[in-house]
Amino acid sequence: MRSSPLAALLAVALAGAPGWRPADPAHRWELPRDHHAHPDHRNEWWYFTGTLAVVDAPARRLGYQLTFFRAGLSPDPPALDSAWAASQAVMGHAAVTDLRSGKHVFSEVLWRAAPLLGGFGAPSDPVLAWARAPAGTPGRWTLRLEDGAFHLAMRDDARGIALDLVARPSKPLVLQGPNGYSRKAAQEGYASLYASYTRLATEGTVTVGAETLRVRGESWMDQEVGSSQLAPAQVGWDWFSLRLADGRDLMLYVLRRADGSVDWRNGTLVAPGGASRVLAPEEWSVTALSTWRSPRGVTYPAGWRIEVPREGLRLVAAPEVAGAENRSALAGGISYWEGPVRLTGADGRAAGEGYVELTGYGEGTRPPL
Amino acid sequence: MRRYLVRAVGKELRAARALFLLAVAGVALGVGSVLSIQLLNRSALGAFAGSVRAVSGEADLSVLGWAGFLDERLLDEVLAVPGVAAAIPLWRAEAAVDGRADASLELVGADLLQAAVRAPWRLPEGELGEALTRRGWVAVTPALAAELGWRVGDRIPVSLGSRRATLVVGALVDLQRIAPLASRRLAVMDLAQAQALLGERGRIHQLDVRAAEGVAPEALRARLEARLGGRARVLTPEQRTAEAEGLLAAFRLNLTALSLVSLLVGGFLVYASVRASLARRREELGVLRAVGATRAQVLRLVLAEAALLGVAGTAAGIPLGWLAARANVAAVSGTIRSLYLLEGIEAVTVGPGLVLLAVATGVAGAVAGALGPALDASREDPRALLASITLEERVRARSGRTLAAGLAALAAGAAAHLALRGRWPPSAFVLALGVLVAVPLAAPAAIRLLGRAGRPQRLGVAYGARTLGARLGSSAVAAGALAVAVAMLAGVTVMVGSFRGSVERWLDATLRADVFVTTPSWRRARSDATLAPEVVARLRQAPGLVAVDLLRQVQVQAAGRRISLSGIDGALPGGERRFALLAGDPAAVMAALRRGAALVSEPLARKAGLAPGSRLAVRGPEGEIALPVAGVYRDYGTEGGAALVDLSTFARLFGPGAPSNAALYLAPGADAEATVLRLRAALRDHALQIRSNRTLRAEVLALFEQTFAVTRLLQVMGLVIAAAGVTLSLLVLARERRGELALYRALGATRPQLFTVFLGRGLGIGVVGLALGAAGGAALALVLVEVVNPAFFGWSIALHPPWAALAGQALAILAAAAAASLYPALTASRTPAAELSRDAL
Amino acid sequence: MEPIVTFREVAREYRTAGGAVLRALRGVSGEVPAGRIVAVTGRSGSGKSTLLHLAAGIDAPTSGEVVLLGRPLAALSDRERTRLRRDHVGLVFQFFHLLPHLSVEENVLVPALVAGDPLREAAARARGLLARVGLEARAGDAVQKLSGGEMQRVALCRALLRRPRLLLADEPTGNLDEESGERVMELLLGLARGEGSAVLFATHSRELAARADETWTLHSGLREP
Repeated sequence: MRSSPLAALLAVALAGAPGWRPADPAHRWELPRDHHAHPDHRNEWWYFTGTLAVVDAPARRLGYQLTFFRAGLSPDPPALDSAWAASQAVMGHAAVTDLRSGKHVFSEVLWRAAPLLGGFGAPSDPVLAWARAPAGTPGRWTLRLEDGAFHLAMRDDARGIALDLVARPSKPLVLQGPNGYSRKAAQEGYASLYASYTRLATEGTVTVGAETLRVRGESWMDQEVGSSQLAPAQVGWDWFSLRLADGRDLMLYVLRRADGSVDWRNGTLVAPGGASRVLAPEEWSVTALSTWRSPRGVTYPAGWRIEVPREGLRLVAAPEVAGAENRSALAGGISYWEGPVRLTGADGRAAGEGYVELTGYGEGTRPPL
Repeated sequence: MRRYLVRAVGKELRAARALFLLAVAGVALGVGSVLSIQLLNRSALGAFAGSVRAVSGEADLSVLGWAGFLDERLLDEVLAVPGVAAAIPLWRAEAAVDGRADASLELVGADLLQAAVRAPWRLPEGELGEALTRRGWVAVTPALAAELGWRVGDRIPVSLGSRRATLVVGALVDLQRIAPLASRRLAVMDLAQAQALLGERGRIHQLDVRAAEGVAPEALRARLEARLGGRARVLTPEQRTAEAEGLLAAFRLNLTALSLVSLLVGGFLVYASVRASLARRREELGVLRAVGATRAQVLRLVLAEAALLGVAGTAAGIPLGWLAARANVAAVSGTIRSLYLLEGIEAVTVGPGLVLLAVATGVAGAVAGALGPALDASREDPRALLASITLEERVRARSGRTLAAGLAALAAGAAAHLALRGRWPPSAFVLALGVLVAVPLAAPAAIRLLGRAGRPQRLGVAYGARTLGARLGSSAVAAGALAVAVAMLAGVTVMVGSFRGSVERWLDATLRADVFVTTPSWRRARSDATLAPEVVARLRQAPGLVAVDLLRQVQVQAAGRRISLSGIDGALPGGERRFALLAGDPAAVMAALRRGAALVSEPLARKAGLAPGSRLAVRGPEGEIALPVAGVYRDYGTEGGAALVDLSTFARLFGPGAPSNAALYLAPGADAEATVLRLRAALRDHALQIRSNRTLRAEVLALFEQTFAVTRLLQVMGLVIAAAGVTLSLLVLARERRGELALYRALGATRPQLFTVFLGRGLGIGVVGLALGAAGGAALALVLVEVVNPAFFGWSIALHPPWAALAGQALAILAAAAAASLYPALTASRTPAAELSRDAL
Repeated sequence: MEPIVTFREVAREYRTAGGAVLRALRGVSGEVPAGRIVAVTGRSGSGKSTLLHLAAGIDAPTSGEVVLLGRPLAALSDRERTRLRRDHVGLVFQFFHLLPHLSVEENVLVPALVAGDPLREAAARARGLLARVGLEARAGDAVQKLSGGEMQRVALCRALLRRPRLLLADEPTGNLDEESGERVMELLLGLARGEGSAVLFATHSRELAARADETWTLHSGLREP
């Protein structure tokens, strides 16, 4: 599960949006066709996170996030003779986290999907999604799928970050739930189609300020499609994508209610060979160990004990950088925490790495899904 | 002394309520007219800036096309420039609301997704999807919706050019709350909808740019200009307002000058009333001086009283000015839209700056009016104050000197004008000012002259008029004030009449076609309101048709200014008769036009120094093109300047496009009105205005009348103030001359006789004011017609004095003077003979 | 023959600003026959001026009756009273009351202007009167250029212009030095006798009063017997 703040301004209705196609439990995944956009569903996103080491100075490590969102505005494209006619919006969120300095830089774009500003490629097009770079920066942000590898590019001259990466899956696609149908609540109808590449070998360049660094590392990719994912009682989620040192991968999400209690949760464990197993809720637990208060005054959990006893997993996930909060100016002032974590085993040894996303903390930050 | 002031003012108010009220009314009217004009002036500019601000928030820069429109692809380049924080594309046009004769929408098509993030307003929750995808979705202001009875969901038929579209009221957004001067007719829709339903693919009008934090707009402007390389203009809001200010300068100065005359006349009133009050209180002042008050104290006392009077007048004048401004919004707005091609005024707001201005003019005017009499009174020694009045003698002795001063002012005005002519356009107004200063200064001499005219046979009207000179001070002030008002009235009447005569002759000469076709949304130089090709095709099939002339028009940067450039059919048979050339052989000019030359209007020729043989540099989307100037034609339509080219030249400059107007020439004997009806029926599905020559002519003249409506109001205000001045000065006379009146009564004069004496005095003031005003008005008319119009507006008009109107005005002024003397005459006639006191004479 | 003016028990009270009642005349009777010259004497405030004002119809008595040329003034309208005064009464004031913006001759002509007499004849008479007071050479001068005595002589001409049956003079020499006062008084009495006008003049000078045919002495608003 993934997503994040699709702007409040894009909200139409929260559940049962008329005209949009709901996630289909019997969906049959076809690749690469299903990596392209599904315009009959309201929302869709391509989410890349990863931890990269600088090739010329391996001790220096960087976390990155690059996400393209598609938000449907109307299920029926308007018949208007204008290059501005649009029935969906494209949003890009990117962040670079310097694990040495702790600096976290966030950048975003939000445009209508129109020839001048952004869009989503047809299945014949290598471009899955693109958006014009933010004002003050020439060029585009793009996500291309070529020769089985994802090509990621973004740039924001005003904030001084850029990504130019190639991420090639090193493990097969994992369907999160039967047929990739991922339920989000006890009620019917709240679900998405959800698939992940848990490991992608990644290399390219990352620009931070004046430095453009050659990097190499591993990424995680999520693609999720749906029309209504968040049930009315739910306010947000805690989401974990963890690549364990022993070659296994663990995905967990917890959907919270306003009082902080758990409404729905789900998990998947992926074996080193790529075989995946859905974890039953009673098989696993996540306990927050501490909190962090952001400059905006939002208190997020920080550090977790993660246990899957049947699989012999007793891990502690600690944020690499405390202040990995993304504050969106374009999407109605929403903010969320999205940052790299370091895993430690019960024996106190390094046990892997991953990313954690925390949404719906603080006032008015419920993602409009 | 302050405690004394409080008591003195209270007593004064009780003792001479009429005097006090008149003086307050004078200040109030003066302040009111100045304030109303300033209000309209500022609102005119505010309207210009307000609309865009309401839509896209505070833009630091605007990217604009040279000929009104822009290629939307420029957005990508603008966004690429470092330091740009946002760039919002805007499409703008004024659409007519079908079935509502005067209703129109100032439509703004914006990228609502961006605007929703940047703009200071919010759409109702969940409306954005609707706005982008529901066909015809438009947000209107609650004010307009209330006015036209629209509710959310209502369908509104509109048209732009001959094209019709149906909009749907999607939301009510109070844009005026954000920018109070924004038009209530402002309506916002998504750019895609605007382009698709009313505009054209790929075309926008403006890009509003916001600079990133810490980036100076000027620096960003330079960067943007470098990037765009002359394909578009980049202006700061100040530059845009300055451009509008430049366009409106003449109009605004004109109104301001007229309103200042009202203030001047109001100042006279204060002068007269302070004099009256001092005349009555000489003894009081003498006693004050005798018991030890210093001259400065007396001066301060009198000035403080005047200041209080000014404050009271201002307090009344501010609401008056606001009401007057409100009453004239429509007329001024119409002028701005038709003559200057700018947004009309929608709202009138009084800011603190304007209130300050009103207070300053009111109080300063009152104090200035009181200064003369106050100085006189303070200079007197106590003995003189307690003895009989000697002040009169001085005024009489001075009448020659005053006249000389007036002539000197006239000469100075003329000299200043000659020295500055050509370098500073308002120099013509200096000359006019010289005339206006000279006129009142001649009043004392004129009244003395009246005193020498014939010997009255009995105590009556003639006696009253003749003996005006006995109290020159107040009567000369009243006559002077009246003369100024009359001069203004006569001068402007002659100017307007001459203008109208010239326009009529110009219309006779140039309005040749039989039927004119345009669209309800068409305003000059708005190239978006065009005729669809099928409309033009149908027009060509009109029965009895000899030829069709087509017109395209844009507002464009040429010769360093904004002008209105039109493309016409240069090959039209007899087409040279469509304009009145100032000079040159029409056939040769037409030939040159067909070869790519331009004709420039007289105002443009004057302002840009163009003549046949010089070149007109026109800034098109592809860069600057210099067109040879083939001739200069008369034009009273566009003060900013206009030029004509052949349609082929127009297309070369601005690309192919549809015409906005068509003119049909019918065979001799064809019935134009019948053709109009037939075409209207045949083209029912298109939004069109089809008019015969006669109808159009009438409409042009109606527009002309509207343009001068404000001028008329100001004239009337000036006259009202002047009439109040007559009343005031006669009241002063009745008060000062109680002794004389009592003597007449003692010698056997009846009350009606005294009444007629005062009526005579009023008429005497009226006659002097009228005579001087007529002389001044004639001079002023000459200045306005021969100097101001060519120099300032750029067009030449021929003198056509409207004699009947002038005669009517003269009678009205005498009637007003007589009416103004009724109350004082009544007061005077009631003077009892027993009033004869020791030193009343 | 009927008297020119008759006073029957006339009283005049004024209400002052402070509310007190000032009794200027308290029942005065008397008559002035045609051609007779009557002096009214008394101290300041004894009611002399009030009596003259009542005779002219400028003021009205609080009680009692004033009959002018056989017509009781109280019964007349303001217009009739004014006409009567205009046509039959001449007035001379202590402070001359000349109009400063008019010339000497014009000042004398004012009654003719008021009455609407033909000006040519009036002007001839004015010049004749001015000649008789020795001011024919000053006819065109501004009145301000005259001395006090000259001013009063002009005022006398003005009062006599329309041949009044009654000449009322209120302290005609009160504002003049002795010598010019003497000359004015001589002219006044001489001219009045010559014209056949009755005269009622107020003075506080016993010498001047002695020149009258009859003297009324007022004391505190009452005529002394």
